[in-house]
Amino acid sequence: MTAKQKAAIAPSANGNGDSNGNGNGNGDTKELVGAVLVCGGGIAGIQASLDLSAAGFRVYLVEESPSIGGNMARLDKTFPTGDCATCIISPKLVECVRDYNIDVLTMADVTALDGEAGHFSVKVRKRPRSVKSEKCTGCGDCWTVCPVRNTAESPPPFQPSEPLNESDAIKLRGILARHEGGLGSLMPVLQEIDQAYGYLPKRILEHLAYSWGVKIAEILRVASFYDRFRLEPVGRHVVEVCEGTSCHSRGSRELGERLEKELGIRPGETDKSGRFTLRTVRCLGLCALSPAMKIAGRSFARVNIDRVAEILEQFT
Amino acid sequence: MSAPIRNSSDLDRAQAAGEATRHPQRLKVLVGSASCGVAVGAREIESAASSTVQELGLDAVVCRTGCIGFCGREPMLDLVLPGGLRISYGNMTPEKARQLIAGYAKSGDLQPAWALGHFHNEELVSTGEVRTYSEQSVGLKGIPRWSALDFESRQKKVILRNCGLIDPNSLNETIACGTYRGAFRALVQMEPDAVIDAVAESGLRGRGGAAFPTGQKWRLARQAAADRKYVVCNADEGEPGAYMDRTVLESDPHAVLEGMLIGAYAIGATEGFIYVRNEYPLAIEILENAIDEAEKHGLLGENIFGTPWSFHVTVRRGAGAYICGEETALIESLEGHAGEPRNRPPYPVTAGLWGKPTVVNNVKTWASVAPIITRGAAWYAKMGTKRTPGTTIFSLEGCVKNAGLVEVPFGITLRELIYDIGGGIVGDRPLKGLQAGGASRGCIPPSLLDLAIDTEDRDGETIMIGTGGIIALDDRACMVDMARFLVGFFLEESCGKCVPCREGSKQMSHLLGRISEGQGTPADLSLLERLAKTVRSAAFCGMGSMGSNALLTTLTHFREEFETHIRDKKCPAGVCRIGRGR
Repeated sequence: MTAKQKAAIAPSANGNGDSNGNGNGNGDTKELVGAVLVCGGGIAGIQASLDLSAAGFRVYLVEESPSIGGNMARLDKTFPTGDCATCIISPKLVECVRDYNIDVLTMADVTALDGEAGHFSVKVRKRPRSVKSEKCTGCGDCWTVCPVRNTAESPPPFQPSEPLNESDAIKLRGILARHEGGLGSLMPVLQEIDQAYGYLPKRILEHLAYSWGVKIAEILRVASFYDRFRLEPVGRHVVEVCEGTSCHSRGSRELGERLEKELGIRPGETDKSGRFTLRTVRCLGLCALSPAMKIAGRSFARVNIDRVAEILEQFT
Repeated sequence: MSAPIRNSSDLDRAQAAGEATRHPQRLKVLVGSASCGVAVGAREIESAASSTVQELGLDAVVCRTGCIGFCGREPMLDLVLPGGLRISYGNMTPEKARQLIAGYAKSGDLQPAWALGHFHNEELVSTGEVRTYSEQSVGLKGIPRWSALDFESRQKKVILRNCGLIDPNSLNETIACGTYRGAFRALVQMEPDAVIDAVAESGLRGRGGAAFPTGQKWRLARQAAADRKYVVCNADEGEPGAYMDRTVLESDPHAVLEGMLIGAYAIGATEGFIYVRNEYPLAIEILENAIDEAEKHGLLGENIFGTPWSFHVTVRRGAGAYICGEETALIESLEGHAGEPRNRPPYPVTAGLWGKPTVVNNVKTWASVAPIITRGAAWYAKMGTKRTPGTTIFSLEGCVKNAGLVEVPFGITLRELIYDIGGGIVGDRPLKGLQAGGASRGCIPPSLLDLAIDTEDRDGETIMIGTGGIIALDDRACMVDMARFLVGFFLEESCGKCVPCREGSKQMSHLLGRISEGQGTPADLSLLERLAKTVRSAAFCGMGSMGSNALLTTLTHFREEFETHIRDKKCPAGVCRIGRGR
């Protein structure tokens, strides 16, 4: 809700208590009065409220969370200038709360909206805050002693999303038996899983995390960092075109394009029959024999582009 | 076979056994079987040679060896004649191999037309011994001496000392060339501090690019108090265009293991890791086999050389992340995390792997250590320059005639490398520029060819070629395209942690794309420059500034070409497809 701003001109609360309700609500002589409700207290809602206030409107700023500020308050820098986010938003937060024309309603939800443009009535429900707000300094001490919310709740322990079938279980047990547990062995273990499956199946990684008692996020972080690890299945033969500097200067682009044409796929893709996956690699170390490529672990150097089709035929 | 090697007479015995297989009393056919050879058909040549030997019933053996460095002539095959004389052949095919072997068996014909050269002597660098072989009584006419080849004559091999001379899977053959003599001397006859003193005196600097004095690094690690210490070999050779570490590991793995063993003893480490790129499966296979062999013979593992000293080495594979070549990122990766660099200090020598003192050295550095121990620091310090003694390896590639790996002392000029050793540019075309020393160094013009190579940039005197890959570009290369390629490389490798690198590289790549597609404006060029300078100064780690460095260097030297793309909407080299889509 915080991202969407809806400004509604409501007929109420312009210092004229009894003018709301039925008095003005009918007929075509609608008196449009200037109170605005802003939904969402993020940076956009705050700025809208400040601008409206400056233009002379009474503003109700409704925010569902306990404080205004939204996502920007959590950022370090903003794109593209790299400016400090806190430095932008903090003065606005202060200004917004101090502005007499702005009523900040936090922990509040809009429950109903009726009427038409220029003539809305809105129902806002303020949730209980369980403290005397006039005395609140925002110190946060109440959170730790709150008898209502302060029930310890830990997330359920991590469980793999599906059980392993027998052959997977045997494979994983075999791999784990060859290594000490723990992160120090993570790379070799991932490499063995990659070797066994051609990629890193999510279900196996989940069970790995479970049996080591480490977070799945930690394993996925490593698995996704390294170029070599793939989280999706690949074709029977992986074609790797060297994109090293030497190969680049000796025709690797043409080689890559020929392979794309022959295989009908772009780098990173697998063909429909699951025979080939095409990818690029930064330097196979065959720089004196450029251009070079590797198919299913077999290297080919000084590749004649017109022989590419012939070479591919060797791999079925 | 697996009797432990405990003293020098055990080493002598292994040496004799290795010598017997290196120079058997019959014809030996050697096939260069490192990755580069295999990629162009070494295995087919090997089976052709074997079947010829079998069919003709010859008294001959067919063996594998590593890479002798002349990669541009792969696949290579050598004949080792009874008596030890060796003749090298390049650009072989299975058919030529058959003809050569059959012809020699029949009439002693050595096919001089196919031969690259013959080895009339060989120097065993580890021991200093020089062996000479008789050139008499065989038809060597028309076959030059290997040592007289342009490609070879200026080289001084220390790191590559045994590459292409031995079977990398044979422990005895490497011992026959003097390997493990240095480790024996260090562990049995020297105090750790004396080892460090020797390395420090030799002036050896890290060969990974940063050129930190190795002796000093070791000393810091030795002085750091801790219950465990580690040594790590950085073989994550991610730099495009550099492949010398792969060659060393595939051709002479024991040179690296021996260096690590000496280093571990010197700093007091009992465990070592070798972090190898995933793209080098053959290197990993050979290295694992070498560790296995060394453990069986008591050269690694418990009680090495019968001393109380123990040292275990484990090979770890990378997973395709360029940044893991940076030592702290490599350590993160070893620990099982995403390979993101750490803040320094603390440096790895005080808090590295699992928070313990760790020495991380490059493959070439480790491989340089043992000869310093056997031949002495003074011998090593005599080579190279004052700032950087010793030798290093360059890979010549791109448009040079003699593409391959060359090991030369520091102080040599780029011109000597390209024109004397490299033999000039293919087709004698003009040299347009070099992409040398790693992607971050951008492209440099031929006007810098006369600078001497060292480990620092001094204006008008020396140039740093950090990671040793030298790609020669002739007039058919487009520098805008090269800049786009280099920036694209760093864009792809950016980890995304900091905004300047993540977004800046993207925008630089976008602007370069516009220029190379003929849609650039003069304003783009100045924006590009400003952006690159911002990224360079604001990125979190060194890698963030590399892409912009590459761009700025290339732009400084080849600005005119960028301007032509913008002004005339034309690519002089015809590489950028202006108006032709993608």
